[in-house]
Amino acid sequence: MKILVCIKQVPDMESKFKVNAAGNWYEETDLAWRMNEYDEYAVEQAVQLKQQVGEADLTVLCIGSDRVKETMKKALAMGCDRGVHILDTESHLKDPYAIAFLIAGYAKDKGFDLIFTGMQSQDRGSAQVGVLIAEMLGIPSLTTLVEFSYADGAINAKRELEGGIKAKVSCATPALVTCQLGLNTPRYPTLPNIMKAKKKELISTPVADLNPEVSLLEVLQVAPPEKKGGGLILEGDPADLADQLIKILKEKTTALA
Amino acid sequence: MKTLLVAEYRDGKLLGTSSELINFATQMGAESAMFLVGSESVLPNYAGKLYLADIGQAGEFNPSLHKQLLLDVIAKEQPQLVVLPHSSYGWDLAPRIAFALKAAQISEVVEIKDGNMVVPSCNSKLRRQVKATTNITVVTLQGGAFTPVDDPSGTPEVIKVEVTAGGDIQFSGYEAAEAGGVDLSKAEIIVSAGRGIGKPENLAIIENLAKALKGEYGASRPVVDAEWADQSRQVGTTGQTVTPKLYVACGISGAIQHLAGMKKSEFVLAINTDKDAPIGEIADVLAVADLKQLIPILTEKLNAL
Amino acid sequence: MEYTREIYWNVGHGAATLVPMYLLSLAAVAILVTVFLQRIKVYKQGQTLNRTDQLPLRVTAMIKNVLLQSKVLNVRGPGVAHALFFWGFFVLFLGTCLIVLQADFTDLFFGVKFLKGSFYLFFSLILDIAGLISIIMLIGLLVRRYIVRPAGLDNKIDDIIMHGLLLAILITGFVIEGARMAVTEMGTPLAAWSPVGLWVAKALSSMGEPAVRGLHSNLWWLHLLMVIIFIAIIPFTKLRHIFTTSANYLFTDLGPKGLLLTIDMEDEDAESFGAAKITDMTWKDIFDADACTSCKRCQDRCPAWVTDKPLSPMKLVQQLGDIAFNDPSASLLETIEKDVLWACTTCRACQEICPANIEHVNKIIEMRRNLVLMEGEFPGEEVMTAMENTEVNGNPFGLAFASRGDWAEGLPVVTLGQSSDVDILYFVGCYASFDKRNQAIAKAFIQLCDAAGVKVGILGKEEKCCGEPMRKMGNEYLYQMLVSEMIEQIKGYGITQIVTTCPHCFNTLNKDYRDLGLEVEVSHYTDYLAALLEQGQLKLTPQSFDCTYHDSCYLGRYNDIYQAPRALLAAAGANLTEMEKHGAESFCCSAGGGRILADEKIGSRISEKRAQMAAETGAPTLISNCPFCLTMFEDGIKGAELDEKLKPKDLAEILVERLAE
Repeated sequence: MKILVCIKQVPDMESKFKVNAAGNWYEETDLAWRMNEYDEYAVEQAVQLKQQVGEADLTVLCIGSDRVKETMKKALAMGCDRGVHILDTESHLKDPYAIAFLIAGYAKDKGFDLIFTGMQSQDRGSAQVGVLIAEMLGIPSLTTLVEFSYADGAINAKRELEGGIKAKVSCATPALVTCQLGLNTPRYPTLPNIMKAKKKELISTPVADLNPEVSLLEVLQVAPPEKKGGGLILEGDPADLADQLIKILKEKTTALA
Repeated sequence: MKTLLVAEYRDGKLLGTSSELINFATQMGAESAMFLVGSESVLPNYAGKLYLADIGQAGEFNPSLHKQLLLDVIAKEQPQLVVLPHSSYGWDLAPRIAFALKAAQISEVVEIKDGNMVVPSCNSKLRRQVKATTNITVVTLQGGAFTPVDDPSGTPEVIKVEVTAGGDIQFSGYEAAEAGGVDLSKAEIIVSAGRGIGKPENLAIIENLAKALKGEYGASRPVVDAEWADQSRQVGTTGQTVTPKLYVACGISGAIQHLAGMKKSEFVLAINTDKDAPIGEIADVLAVADLKQLIPILTEKLNAL
Repeated sequence: MEYTREIYWNVGHGAATLVPMYLLSLAAVAILVTVFLQRIKVYKQGQTLNRTDQLPLRVTAMIKNVLLQSKVLNVRGPGVAHALFFWGFFVLFLGTCLIVLQADFTDLFFGVKFLKGSFYLFFSLILDIAGLISIIMLIGLLVRRYIVRPAGLDNKIDDIIMHGLLLAILITGFVIEGARMAVTEMGTPLAAWSPVGLWVAKALSSMGEPAVRGLHSNLWWLHLLMVIIFIAIIPFTKLRHIFTTSANYLFTDLGPKGLLLTIDMEDEDAESFGAAKITDMTWKDIFDADACTSCKRCQDRCPAWVTDKPLSPMKLVQQLGDIAFNDPSASLLETIEKDVLWACTTCRACQEICPANIEHVNKIIEMRRNLVLMEGEFPGEEVMTAMENTEVNGNPFGLAFASRGDWAEGLPVVTLGQSSDVDILYFVGCYASFDKRNQAIAKAFIQLCDAAGVKVGILGKEEKCCGEPMRKMGNEYLYQMLVSEMIEQIKGYGITQIVTTCPHCFNTLNKDYRDLGLEVEVSHYTDYLAALLEQGQLKLTPQSFDCTYHDSCYLGRYNDIYQAPRALLAAAGANLTEMEKHGAESFCCSAGGGRILADEKIGSRISEKRAQMAAETGAPTLISNCPFCLTMFEDGIKGAELDEKLKPKDLAEILVERLAE
């Protein structure tokens, strides 16, 4: 069985974000980098599947600068067999379509039975890349999974819908699935596996070798959102306060919608 | 400009997001038509063309079939914008359409600014204004971002869509949300009680506010330690890490363990008698008041809305 | 007439006595040696560990601990009883040796007698008193064990055999003496020098000489037989502690206190880390089980045990012994429950009190290492999250690393990245950096240094967690990653003195970091400020206030710093009311051993228990010296609903309020 898991390196969401000089994305200094949380579930599910079927080859793919190799090593330590790094220092300028095109281009003649991706990335959050890859490869895709099982070429899974409801879905492989938080418990890599990961194959391919497509989206501006309440301190009579709070909740949040 | 709105049906019910789609089209000043896989028995309040595929034949969840039906309608209508809710249905279907049309897709639009779409990034810490370079664009709308002030009215002009069976994904029903133990990590609105509530009886004040906001109530560690609230309610590094859209911290001073567990909340309202409590540092709004006075009034007013 | 007595009176000094006596003795010693040799084989299943370096120091320590019973005496009551019994029995043993020496050696071969004259008088008196004290103490211990029965004291068959046999040996000894005296010494001035013997003799004298002689010879042989049995069963019963506990003083850990073995991460051949099987432990870890006397002092003091968690340090050590002797291939982690291992706060109360110098904490850490490094397991997901947060942002909260130094804005402190012209590097630690409550400690410390004319530098966003909670949780890999970064940073700035406000940072930088190459002097702020105070650089205006003081584990038991903080308190004008558990007997706040990262799911809250102890002093303020403690007390006091009566404060906060103008 051949399995592919696609991951992304993202800044930790706790970081202080500043807009970069070009005004099209964030400034990279002072950011802490980590594996996109959704992708951790994807890697874990892929590793569990590999362990379940026994004979399997699990490739982890990541697009980005050399910096992303650190994150790939974590995926290798979690149990992926080999790493495919598409070296692209400008990947942050590509839209989901262009990213999916690169991955589909890599995967199209490799005969993967299953492709795992995160449901979305924490920094872009567009939730498109997984489905786009599947569409480009002409295979079915199941999204937002919180339960996954595989047997005899068939996937049985549950999608998470709003309000905690789940939808039971299934399809045949080859297929692509996108993983929602809570799908499993991503493992903490063991020390022997961290050591082994250092020796696993991790090949970088320059992005230019993969005939990249142009993006369909153009970024006009990136800016921090206008302050919501901005550390507003309210004092006064409880009845007045309550009115003020309701007004704020209506204006600044979707809670009263 | 012409938009095609894709409404959503689930478990035999039309979802309220259709009014947000209509409001979006209005805000864009665009003409619109609507597509729905649903049933004639429940139709949206919408004064326009509604392309209706019968849910009995097309199924509630069959993305490759729904894609095909939708593409047929798009071919007829030739819209510049195909608009879906950014929901489990919308974000699943949208890229399929986008790819088939080789259209750009803009996900989770929160705002229209100068005619361009604004989308959130990095846990809403940044916002991006983007523009499609294609003739047709697929967009998904963030839930609640385009809620209309007044519900739309009107009766749609129903145009039936022919359904031929197909699809590569089998859908075999829903599973209800788990009853019993509360999973705060998935809650969208949380009202949390800290030691500032004073005594266990006052937890009811917090619970009532949570109910009024249609959310769950949580608690800080000292409240759980004192056994005023169940452990499953504990928010913080040693309890649950939560990411609600609204977090109301009542009488919580803001110990680091607590802050680390709720700092990813989108909007934090703190109610505390101490103006200098650490919770004020991450709260969007800090109401300096005695929660025992303020919250019952607030709850009453919310219930009256 | 010269005072003396006939040895072997009534039983005879011929072959009929000596041959069976010596053959039995030889057999007993042979059994003793053989069985111990077998036990040594079991100890040797463990990994090597050098515990015979610095022999003169070790031997002195052993003699002191055995003869003075110093560690035993740390607990009054049973400790005193044991020591007195030991001294009594030891004197009787020496007396018996002298008798054998004279009768079967010096007198037999050279005709030399020394048990005579006034020496003999004192010899008799001392032995009588020793015997009496031994009996009284033994009865006392029996009453405690079987009638009073303190909670947690498990009585095994060993205990009844030990106590019964010793009591029988002592009593028969006196009856034999009384019988001999009834026939030979009644009415002589000699008799008064054996008061207990005389009392028995008077009781027996009415029996008539033949009956007394018969009783004497029968009891003599019975007494001998019991002594032989006593020797022979030493290795089979808890009596073995006579040798093993004594030897454990020799094999003691010479420090630094609480230092863990640093795993060699460069070792490419290493396939397993931590202890999964008993053979992964050291020989000393197995030997410790044999040195344990089940005195349960560790268990009584274990914060986990007394708050109803499954960890008993005593039972854990004994379980390891069971495994080593009965099922050496067993999986430690299956035999010893994981909740037991995760419950430890590494507070060292067990080790500090153990009269047998057993090392409990390292065993737990070794097993945790296996769980974490080999299985990727933690006590809960919250701990795994904290580990991942630390990997990404260098702090367990997962807050942006770049904001680590933000608290220092506007304070008289420089970031070393800008200028390294400083007197000290203040290693702030995660809690004082990120937690608003604990930032008060950091700010107070800066103000105190500024007032004393000390130029302070911090690493700011270049500082990361020192790695202590990770290491104690068993995550040696993450710990060493953090350490190598920190050491590189610190060395790069050519710092000569580091001061911490966190005892965990202090202990880790000052001890653990040495193994990985840090050489800079490290102090905890209490020690550092106490020195400034003494030199007159730091001037305080005392203002009287009532308080109690909590000795944190890592400042107290780990580093023996008890006086410096109290000196600072005194200079601040404190009226200190000590808690019953203070100093080396202090009770943990619950945050050590990486537990600060974990949810306390089992039993009651340790922090609340400590808050109650503090409240019992009646003092309105609980002073601590550690951000972990302060954090735990802030919660524990509220949890115990004591927030009306008691406020926790760090010592630095008290001092800064009393800075002289």
